[in-house]
Amino acid sequence: MNTRDLVLIALFAAIVVVLGLIPPITLGFIPVPITAQSMGAMLAGCIIGAKRGALAFLLFVLLVAIGLPVLSGGRGGLAVLAGPSGGFILGWAVAAYVTGIIAERFIHEGQSESRQFGGFFLASVAGGIVVLYGIGVPWLSAVTGTPLLAAATGSLTFIPGDFLKAAIATLAARAVYAGYPLLPARA
Amino acid sequence: MLTSLYVEGNSWFHRLPVRAKLIALLLLSLLLFATQSLYLLAPAFLLCGWLYFSLGLTIRQALARIGFVFFTILVLAVVNLFLLPLPEVAALVLRLMALVFFAAAVTATTTISAFMDEITILLKPLERMGLLNAADVSLALGLVLRFVPDIFARYEAIREAHRARGLPIRPLTIIGPLIILTLKDADTIAAAIDARGFRRQ
Repeated sequence: MNTRDLVLIALFAAIVVVLGLIPPITLGFIPVPITAQSMGAMLAGCIIGAKRGALAFLLFVLLVAIGLPVLSGGRGGLAVLAGPSGGFILGWAVAAYVTGIIAERFIHEGQSESRQFGGFFLASVAGGIVVLYGIGVPWLSAVTGTPLLAAATGSLTFIPGDFLKAAIATLAARAVYAGYPLLPARA
Repeated sequence: MLTSLYVEGNSWFHRLPVRAKLIALLLLSLLLFATQSLYLLAPAFLLCGWLYFSLGLTIRQALARIGFVFFTILVLAVVNLFLLPLPEVAALVLRLMALVFFAAAVTATTTISAFMDEITILLKPLERMGLLNAADVSLALGLVLRFVPDIFARYEAIREAHRARGLPIRPLTIIGPLIILTLKDADTIAAAIDARGFRRQ
């Protein structure tokens, strides 16, 4: 790993921290406030790729674990990781990795714009929703004793908001890819 | 901007070495998940709660730190009431809250540098296997802390630019420029790090 990769990882982790400081926006038609931070895993995979994206999130989890209030709403510390949603926070690294793998495979230069949008959206949904809930929900169920089916049904409430986040991440990732492509670079 | 969740103090728990606290947290979680008995879980809950509240935080500060996690636990407990017998729900809530109290106590009594020293030791085996460089982890962590205020200032500037032009402030129109502007710095910073020879390789 060269120094540039290291810096990209650190800067992206810092961006995720800043996204948590942005006040959440409530949309009229969905009851869930949109915090920019939970798009982080989708953005990381789509923008800096699988390996660097996952490392950026491992670094972020490290910040949480050593007691910095880097999660949205000023949360942080080992208590959050020990709580019911710890799986979602640890799952972000895997989510970023899977998002990155798919984005790296499907997005190339010289594709039509709509195919790039499609690729980024697919990657964001697969990594940021399927994989993330695949880790977070069983974890929550194991820790709180809530039966898996009930935990999964309850999580459905968040899915529409997550699709919206995937859409926003897609547009942002494609804008960055057009303006300052980092995805195909080695790492 | 990023003030640590560490609380100044000199209680016995403050003086305990980090490693002991982390091992205790690990053992406690294993033990608590191994038992269903309320006679063990209720005292554990009270003890961990007492430990956390005796660290010198005001009640309000103490609750602000773990309130969100407790809220989630209680919501899930309400759901569980419909699906599981009452003693089981009580056991689940007490166990999880005890664990959260203890974890919050570890966070509140350990400085970031103490954590970092411990992490450097934990990374040693990985370093020997050639998987990573422990110094790189500290460097990356330092970079994050150094650049968060800068990136936040950049976010404010982009927001002001939106205001000045009468544009609505939407995540979509802010995130793109924020990421591009930030990541464009990477080359300059990397060159500066290499020029100073911080990473010998």
